[in-house]
Amino acid sequence: MNGPISNRLGVDAKHVQTSGLGFVGQSVKRVEDRWLLAGKGKFVADRLPDGVAHAAFLRSPFAHATIDRIDVSAARRLPGVIAVYSAADINEHAHPFVPLIMLPGTYTPLFMPLSEDKVRHVGDPVAIVLAESRYIAEDATELIEVDYSDLEPVSTIDQALDPASAQLWERADGNVLHDDINTYGDVDAAFADADHVVRETFECHRQSNQPMEARGIVVEIDPASAHLTVTSTSQAPHAAKWAIAAMTTRDRPGSSLRSLLGNKTRRQNFVGAAKEFVKDNMASIKKQDPAGQKHQLKRDPSMLTAQMKMGLGLLAADDFPTVRADDIGGGFGSKGSVNREDIAVVVAAKLAGRSTQWIEDRVENLLDGGQAREERFAIELALDADGTFRGLRCQFDLDYGAYPGFPVSAAITQGMIKVYMPGPYRFDAYELHSRMVTTNKGKQVPYRGPWANETWARERIIDVAASTLGMDPLELRQKNMWAAADFPAKMISGPSLDVTMSCKGTLDRAIAEIRELDLDALRAAAHSRGNKLGIGLASYHEAAPGPPDFLDAITPGNDMLAAEQARATIEADGRIVMYTSQSPHGQSHATTYAQVVADEFGVALEDVEIVWGDTDVTQFSFLGTGGSRGGPIGGGVMKYSARDVRTMVDELAAEMLESSVEDITVTNGNIHVAGVPARGLSYRDLAAEAISRQSSSGGTATNKSGLAFEITRDYAGHGDGGWSVATHVAIVEVDLETGVVEIPKYLVVEDCGPIINPKIVDGQVRGGVAQGIGAVFYENLVYDNAGNPQATTYMDYLIPTAMEIPEIDIIHLETHSAGENDFRGVGEGGMIGAPAALCNAVSNALGVEVTTQYLPPAKILELAGVISPD
Amino acid sequence: MTSVEIGSELAVSLTLNGATTSVRVDPRRSLADVIREDCGLTGTHLGCEHGVCGACTVLVDGAPARSCLMLAVQADGVEIITIEGLAEGDEFSPVQQGMVDAMSFQCAFCAPGFLMSTVALLAENPNPSTEEIRAELSGNLCRCTGYQSIVDGVERAVEIMQRGAQ
Repeated sequence: MNGPISNRLGVDAKHVQTSGLGFVGQSVKRVEDRWLLAGKGKFVADRLPDGVAHAAFLRSPFAHATIDRIDVSAARRLPGVIAVYSAADINEHAHPFVPLIMLPGTYTPLFMPLSEDKVRHVGDPVAIVLAESRYIAEDATELIEVDYSDLEPVSTIDQALDPASAQLWERADGNVLHDDINTYGDVDAAFADADHVVRETFECHRQSNQPMEARGIVVEIDPASAHLTVTSTSQAPHAAKWAIAAMTTRDRPGSSLRSLLGNKTRRQNFVGAAKEFVKDNMASIKKQDPAGQKHQLKRDPSMLTAQMKMGLGLLAADDFPTVRADDIGGGFGSKGSVNREDIAVVVAAKLAGRSTQWIEDRVENLLDGGQAREERFAIELALDADGTFRGLRCQFDLDYGAYPGFPVSAAITQGMIKVYMPGPYRFDAYELHSRMVTTNKGKQVPYRGPWANETWARERIIDVAASTLGMDPLELRQKNMWAAADFPAKMISGPSLDVTMSCKGTLDRAIAEIRELDLDALRAAAHSRGNKLGIGLASYHEAAPGPPDFLDAITPGNDMLAAEQARATIEADGRIVMYTSQSPHGQSHATTYAQVVADEFGVALEDVEIVWGDTDVTQFSFLGTGGSRGGPIGGGVMKYSARDVRTMVDELAAEMLESSVEDITVTNGNIHVAGVPARGLSYRDLAAEAISRQSSSGGTATNKSGLAFEITRDYAGHGDGGWSVATHVAIVEVDLETGVVEIPKYLVVEDCGPIINPKIVDGQVRGGVAQGIGAVFYENLVYDNAGNPQATTYMDYLIPTAMEIPEIDIIHLETHSAGENDFRGVGEGGMIGAPAALCNAVSNALGVEVTTQYLPPAKILELAGVISPD
Repeated sequence: MTSVEIGSELAVSLTLNGATTSVRVDPRRSLADVIREDCGLTGTHLGCEHGVCGACTVLVDGAPARSCLMLAVQADGVEIITIEGLAEGDEFSPVQQGMVDAMSFQCAFCAPGFLMSTVALLAENPNPSTEEIRAELSGNLCRCTGYQSIVDGVERAVEIMQRGAQ
């Protein structure tokens, strides 16, 4: 099946789910399972076009080295090898990766698909082989000779901050790529006036997203037209399409310009599109802060040349690639990137004239498939004797790795940490000094709640403050958390708070649940087993989608990136077909969107087809699926576009049934006048009538498309929805002999507003908590002092199993906003709350302050005083 | 012991989901690659290719095996069942249906391995305790769900099988 992926496959009458009550709010079974559990999924590795070449990369074994010589001739001679390209061969046909979002005080190095002169981490790709099989391709990589000269590796934040260390990027300020201070309110006054200041430094280890399916790409070249069809594991296929088009369309600027100027239609289209874009986004454009771009250009003006060449190349191009994302095996943020390998594979396929598949293996994925969270927070909390929070001050350092993520880089992580750090609490003043450093490690990418460590650091310092002041940590939170009566209000970091910031509701409920437990008895029972028991709690709020001023607080004027379009259609035969720009990879969009749309049209779930993942048929979206946007933004635009078409349906039905529009109702697909279901019409009837009217009116654009009804609309969530909030409670039992931590109880009290599908939401929450448990007790993407990765297989990078993840209880609260579309995102939250609640619980159990997030058995025994450090 | 020259191929008789086919394979090719690429059954997935994640689990003569660690030539003459062999026509098997009912999976990339491990578990122990299910499935990694829904799916499959047996 070569058409765009949709939920059509595998659906038949016997699986039809009907409901007299509406589907939204019910745990209707997943449409996706019809194909995924039959073994009929279409994942990227399953796409094996005839004659496909298999690609493998040669990667650097050194953390930091210059490349003195590369010789690929022996590899080229191996039977079965189709082509071998060195970095020079590939880069000649590509443009560099340039920064998209430039924050003040940030320099983002430009970089090429493959490394030519210098390697900056173990796994840095230096050559690509195309062969008849992956086996042969890997054999050939071993025949490539490379002479490296070692450079001093930079493997920690402190080494990167040391001006004496070797430098990864020559135009950077040492190895510091970002250094900026954000101040809100009078911080010095708040600290001077407060009765106490509590200080602690918290360090988090490097982690990896680790979806079960690694990255991959298949490039198919149409032999007749040379059109490229790229199948990718992208969370954002449209961003991938335009990045691939821009970076691999290499023409001489002069000829591009001549082609543009010589082609009147293209010129007019370009000018027209540019004018329209500026008109639509004037408010955002005016708000943009030029300081970031100025800083970037001061360090490296070559960005302008690269942008100009890419722009002219795009303008001169007659054809752009199609990018398809079919079934995707998870991502957790790591597949939002356009990868260096993607560009290299596209260039290699074009050079060789062969359709090419590259499937990343697990070792590669652990080397550079996406890394995150190696951050340090030196945090100070100023508070009064009665516990009132006054000020918050933090020195925040982030280990970026060697290459910037693209298109969403660590800059966004910094921006989010900056805004979220005060959390759901009132402060008089707040200051964040942030530094991002580059080291010889794999690249930093967003990982499920990319800012989550601010919650970990903040919720830990609150517990530290409580124990320092001899206060109850739960009461300390209750005292300082924004409450419903406070709204409308603004976070000290900027964003508006409304009734949907109902975090206090989840905290109060969590505390009520805790008070029901006999903790003394639980502690005594643990003690009788020679163990220690502790309880920890953490609260957070996240913008999902957030108030209209949320994104501006992170980076002014980039709000336009968040809007999303959808297309709602009814085909000539009455089938409802919806096109989303989301790129689901486990979130069950085919089910939840069908629920939303079926309710709008009054039809069965299976009467709705959801189409996604193919840039030829879906509308442009920069972000795709990520940032907990699938429910509020993607789901919202589904709802509104469906509603628009439903209005058209009602109007036509009213004419056909000679009634008023208000009296038209639809039950189980029967469109009728209220109270007269016997004299009803089907969607097929309406579609036929709409088509016949189009024909008689002389052929409109809609008619040409063969659709009875069609509408495209966009939506940015403004004015609807708001915040998603939760409080997590963990009870841990620490075995003092083995250092193993059991979790006898884990509770999440969350409020994401009205829920589309409760079981799907529960799955998102539990999955996030499981990753948080992994982060604290099992997973560590550790590098040694020479920059050598120490966890390159699942024997060393420990993903928790069914034995480690406990049952997780969930209580849903449901606060409604005034917005018409009130769905709020929930995908990231589990991971945001869990590390904080778990570390607080361990701290409580052992009676010592936990200052690192990674707590393997040896660390637990050390904290417990059973063994001594090192 | 037979010796084989590098680059030569060996004939292997594979019995896949009840159908026997003969394929010629490079002796170093894994069973998983041959099932997926030569036989076109892409329902079996490769997650780590070093025997930890379990996504590639298939049944070899009824027992779960990592098809990424097994060579195709070792499968000569054995019975292999993959995820594609579970349903009867359009009718999902109890294990598949249990997982559908419990909404066990999200991205479901790991699902083929969990389904095959569950079939093997329930064949040996038709009424496992929750602890036994968790222990038995601890050889399969899932990154999406936190496992609770998968355990629920196994318990639901047990219910379906018991109802069917009555």
